[in-house]
Amino acid sequence: MYALVDAVSFYASAEKVFDPSIRNKPVVVLTNNDGFICAVCPIARRLGIPKFEPYFKVKWLLQKHGVVVRSSNYELYADLSERMMNVISRYCDNQHIYSIDESFLHFKNYGGLIKDWHQYGHEIRRAIWKETKLPVGVGFGTTSTLAKAANHAAKKLSGYNGVAVIDSAQNGKAVLERMDVVDVWGIGRKISQRLKQQGIQTAYQLSTQCPKAIRKQFSVVTERTVNELNGVNCLSWDDVREPKREIFSTRSFGQRIVDIHSLQSALTTHSAIVAKKVRRQYSLVKKLMIFASSSPHDDNYYKQTMVYKFPVATDNSCDIAKAVSLVLADIFVEGVRFYRCGVGAIELESRTFRQPDLFLPDNSNPVLMACLDKINNRYSQGTLKLGAEGQSEVWQMKRNFLSPQYTTNWRDIPKIRC
Amino acid sequence: MKVIPIYIEAGISGFESPAAEYKELGLSLDQLLIRHPNATFIGQASGQSMEGIGIFDGDLLIVDRSLTVKNGDVVVANYNGCFVCKLIDKPQARLLSASKSHAPVTIKPEDDFQLEGVVTRSIRLHHPAPELTACMH
Repeated sequence: MYALVDAVSFYASAEKVFDPSIRNKPVVVLTNNDGFICAVCPIARRLGIPKFEPYFKVKWLLQKHGVVVRSSNYELYADLSERMMNVISRYCDNQHIYSIDESFLHFKNYGGLIKDWHQYGHEIRRAIWKETKLPVGVGFGTTSTLAKAANHAAKKLSGYNGVAVIDSAQNGKAVLERMDVVDVWGIGRKISQRLKQQGIQTAYQLSTQCPKAIRKQFSVVTERTVNELNGVNCLSWDDVREPKREIFSTRSFGQRIVDIHSLQSALTTHSAIVAKKVRRQYSLVKKLMIFASSSPHDDNYYKQTMVYKFPVATDNSCDIAKAVSLVLADIFVEGVRFYRCGVGAIELESRTFRQPDLFLPDNSNPVLMACLDKINNRYSQGTLKLGAEGQSEVWQMKRNFLSPQYTTNWRDIPKIRC
Repeated sequence: MKVIPIYIEAGISGFESPAAEYKELGLSLDQLLIRHPNATFIGQASGQSMEGIGIFDGDLLIVDRSLTVKNGDVVVANYNGCFVCKLIDKPQARLLSASKSHAPVTIKPEDDFQLEGVVTRSIRLHHPAPELTACMH
């Protein structure tokens, strides 16, 4: 049996944990730079607040309903996510953390040990709510795709109350019939459009298709999805766990920048973030993409992208920052009001199977990098950084509605009235 | 702060410190004070109503959400949108203070009330901690 446990609008729920004054209020959370709405709590959803709308467009609607608006407080979310994942891990010996608020569980050889999956799911929900004050949905299924579908039902369909179990063809049908094919795990928007043109609207209809025919028309991935919907396990744990093939750090600026030094410090900071993520998954960067642009709404839209190929793949922040300095002059143009920039590792290699070059010196400095990561993990991101990242904050994220860092900063710990 | 001890060894004598093999990890207050780290948060007391049981303004409170609240426990609750620290009187649904100048509060059905957790420890800072005082009140 598989399970997927995930939080109900995690960011919005996380905002309510340490701020009891907004527990019963509608809450939305905005993305980086307060651009878009990225999380809507159930109370706000019932008021009809849409997700993924630009903030400025729905500002009046939010004001009208007295909706509490918050900027993304990543420090808080990361801490709460870790707590939630730790609580979940008590319920199964094989856990795979799939995203900041989603965790797969695989119950292998549990035959007969757990009598009632429904009850077990409610136990998990109760424990997470009690210990972290985060609401979650739990879905069980005989494959990971069915667990994901059951989780969808647990949270979105009426009559499930936070827990759903798919362990037979009948209760599978009951869920899949009420599920749009676009919501099936692994079916993107494009594939779902093509499926719908052929009259396949629901997840159940997809499950009745001939897998071989689907493979011919789409791909082996979609064929697997069809099999998984029928209870045939096709995704091994390692498929789900595979390291990312590209790592990006990009962002639009809080305010436009026009000088080369600010652009350099912004790009270097992105490169340091990419380098850190690369190290975390034991990869090395072979090719780095560096870009900057003005806004597409500007007259004379400007965008320049450069690709830098490292002679020897690296995970050294200094090398990666050096690549930024080398291409900077080709990207920066006097007079352009830069709106957005970013850095992406577009070709990665595995550190375990790395191929050193006989004639080039080994520039990696694992001890220094480990030290850098350790200090920044302990004392928060940016405590120790490269000189080229600069001290200036003009380009940094706009977070005008940021809540305190209740669990990671002493100055922000909750006040308790006596 | 963790201090990393580095021992000076001249490399001449050839004698290792006789205590070397007895070296263990330092004592950790977290380990002593926090039983359930995932379910625990730290807050700061504000007010005088709990002085009778030794909780003073500015003290740190360690709150464990995983414990089942028993009658008479020192608890943190959400009382009408505000975290409060009180003694719980379960049979009469009241919040009691530990001070003569604060009357008991009866929890009414229309109140917004949730138990948050049990205060398992409180910590007095006899010398101010700069990390905390930077922004106190």
